[in-house]
Amino acid sequence: MVLYFESKHSYNYDFETTSLAYLNRYPNPFAKHVLSIDTLDYHIDSQGQLCKTNLIVKQGRLPKFIKPFIGSANLKSWIIEKIIINPKSKSMITYTSNIDHHKFIRVEEMLKYREKDNNNTTEVLSKVKFSSNLFGFKRKIEQWSHERFKLNYNNTKDGLTYVMNKLKQRRRGMMVVE
Amino acid sequence: MGNIMSVSFAPECTPAKQEYDDCFNKWYTEKFLKGKSIQNECTEFWDNYITCINANLAKEGIKPMLDKAREDEPFSHEEIKKDLKE
Repeated sequence: MVLYFESKHSYNYDFETTSLAYLNRYPNPFAKHVLSIDTLDYHIDSQGQLCKTNLIVKQGRLPKFIKPFIGSANLKSWIIEKIIINPKSKSMITYTSNIDHHKFIRVEEMLKYREKDNNNTTEVLSKVKFSSNLFGFKRKIEQWSHERFKLNYNNTKDGLTYVMNKLKQRRRGMMVVE
Repeated sequence: MGNIMSVSFAPECTPAKQEYDDCFNKWYTEKFLKGKSIQNECTEFWDNYITCINANLAKEGIKPMLDKAREDEPFSHEEIKKDLKE
């Protein structure tokens, strides 16, 4: 069995602000478990889309019931992120997955952002897949990870909104200076 | 962005990362999204930054798994392709 989490959300910001905030979403006070983010590659494809690959390091956590088998309940996790941005259709797709600890859990997140017509709103659809390969614990781990993701979902939204507000303030500040 | 700094996994690469990020953000909003540039700019900052990253990644045990993940093309996986169409 594999578990999924799906959701839809709208931000009251245009695509420029939303996508810039997404690209700069770490660090923020709602994501203290994120240790670093790096760019590994960026290029423009034949369709004029920006393709970016990022490497994120997070402080992961393990459920208590698995502690006796692994030893430590805290661990570092490496995450790859692939982003494609289409400037004409004002849309962005992202794919994020942990690179290590696949036997324990693999969390794959797919996001689709797009600007809604003429109303300064950007909509995001998300689909997250949870799959574990740990014999005997598969179902329990998938449920635990799914549950934690659901609990953290508001933090993810609050974090992005926080960065968007910062961007807005910065722009206002720049206009005053100019 | 904001008051806290965005850092690299390798602390010695953080200054180069910040120079690149600043250049990228400016290029992204002022040129790329406005259709004014489809050229990779910021190459000077990028070269410094990625050289530092690659040197540090080579020391990490994650490197083989990362290389595999980089080759993967998630947006052409059947399941994801289906989701993207919806």
